[in-house]
Amino acid sequence: RKLEEEKDVTGAVAELPVFADSEDDLEMSEEEGDAGRAADSGHCSEEDEDEEESADEEMDDDDDDDDDDLSKEEEEGALRWKDRLQQKASEAFLRQQEAMPNLRKLVYGSEEEDGEDVDEELGGLFRVNRPQKSRRFQANALDCSHFNPDSSHNWDLEEMLDSIKDCFVTGKWEEDQD
Amino acid sequence: MASHGLDYDGCNFFRQRLVLSTLSGKRVKIRNIRSKDDNPGLRDFEASFIRLLDKVTNGSRIEINQTGAVLFYQPGLLYGGSIEHDCNLQRSIGYYLEALLMLAPFMKNPLKATLRGITNDPTDPTVDRLKSTVLPLMKKFGIEGEGFDLKVMKRGMAPGGGGEVVFTCPVRKTIRPVQLTDSGKIKRIRGVAYSVRVSPQMGNRIVESARGVLNQFIPDIYIHTDHMKGANSGKSPGFGLTLVAETLEGCFLSAEMSSTPQGQGDPVLPEDLGRNCAKLLLEEVYRGGCVDSSNQSLALLLMTLGQQDVSKLLLGPLSPYTIEFLRHIRDFFQIMFKIEVRKPLEDERKGGDKVLMTCVGVGYSNLNKSLK
Repeated sequence: RKLEEEKDVTGAVAELPVFADSEDDLEMSEEEGDAGRAADSGHCSEEDEDEEESADEEMDDDDDDDDDDLSKEEEEGALRWKDRLQQKASEAFLRQQEAMPNLRKLVYGSEEEDGEDVDEELGGLFRVNRPQKSRRFQANALDCSHFNPDSSHNWDLEEMLDSIKDCFVTGKWEEDQD
Repeated sequence: MASHGLDYDGCNFFRQRLVLSTLSGKRVKIRNIRSKDDNPGLRDFEASFIRLLDKVTNGSRIEINQTGAVLFYQPGLLYGGSIEHDCNLQRSIGYYLEALLMLAPFMKNPLKATLRGITNDPTDPTVDRLKSTVLPLMKKFGIEGEGFDLKVMKRGMAPGGGGEVVFTCPVRKTIRPVQLTDSGKIKRIRGVAYSVRVSPQMGNRIVESARGVLNQFIPDIYIHTDHMKGANSGKSPGFGLTLVAETLEGCFLSAEMSSTPQGQGDPVLPEDLGRNCAKLLLEEVYRGGCVDSSNQSLALLLMTLGQQDVSKLLLGPLSPYTIEFLRHIRDFFQIMFKIEVRKPLEDERKGGDKVLMTCVGVGYSNLNKSLK
């Protein structure tokens, strides 16, 4: 079966550059091309695509004829959801990077937001004592000016070392400086 | 609001509040100091800090309730002069000195403070670090001249202490505004590898490993070893390293690491300490800016108190301590900084995001200073 599929796929690929004999054929090939492009994440290699297609076919074979269309749609929906996942993630990341964090708001933001102390009284005698969770800082923590380093930075890695190279006189200089 | 003073909760940022209160003349009341703790109230080191504050001021009123959970402080005038203080051993001298550095330029008489206690411990900035970074920083703000010095007479490691430093500082009437927007490139790295009551060889082992990490960036590295003996070596054994990177513009970035105090936690190897400290310096370089992370608040305070002119300062990412300090500056001086993020360019290899802080000084003038 696998051999057959592979032959099929290679056949399709080989067919593509060839001019179509009739309009029907042209349409068919266009549709096929579109579907292929939609499924293409832009990152995955050809092999992945083939695998997906074969999986698609397998599913089709297994399913009954009645809900064939539905399952195909679902499959496509699922695939579309998975489509360009990496690209979307990178776009979202860039957007987040671009949106300048409003530091002023972070620093001087309203202090009211961290909750009025709603002390619930039980039977007019006991008070529910909740831990201060929404405070911006621990009110009774150690008073210390030490700034802990970012633990995600591993200074054994070459790329980390590379990221600060130009901070030293031995690094690259700007055009206007010397 | 001003007439009633300011109210705070908890013992965190204790020094900031008292220092800013002293400089602004506003009363401050701190409640709920460890009120839910098994052992509520002020600790000995905080009491020691209050005593130090009492020594440099004249006419301060301090009231503490019976449990020590509520403190009321009405600042007096900064008097200065010659003082001696035995710092509590729960915190190192750096804890006290950080606050004293903020107050010293605004005294009536030039300050000569002799502080005794722990000179080097892992929690607070050590006196070596303060000496090599804070003094040049304050010089940029016009605080300089004869008798501006921090001398380590005796070294004392945690937990025993026994160290002694002498800090002298001239007084200033006004503070010069600064424009520090370019830190320049790092031209050299200096350092001190200190060791007391251990083999003098420890220092060399630290230097060796630290150089191994830093040599790939710059050849101009000199770390001198400082081994104190006899009466000058304090009461506890220990060793450590302070590294300072100096830029072409005269900015200083520093990192440091001390051995774990005797009897507390796992002992460290000098090789590991040297290597890790060098990595901390790289982290500091990555953060960048014209002032290193532990001195951000002092620089921002001096900007706030400057003449009524625009001051600009480029910093690395703001530390949590600094962020709280900015809020306190707003409370006490009604100054809000303009904070802009500076992203590094695509092809630049100069570390992470920087923050440009801009403010107009309040035009603070030192009324305590006597006219001559």
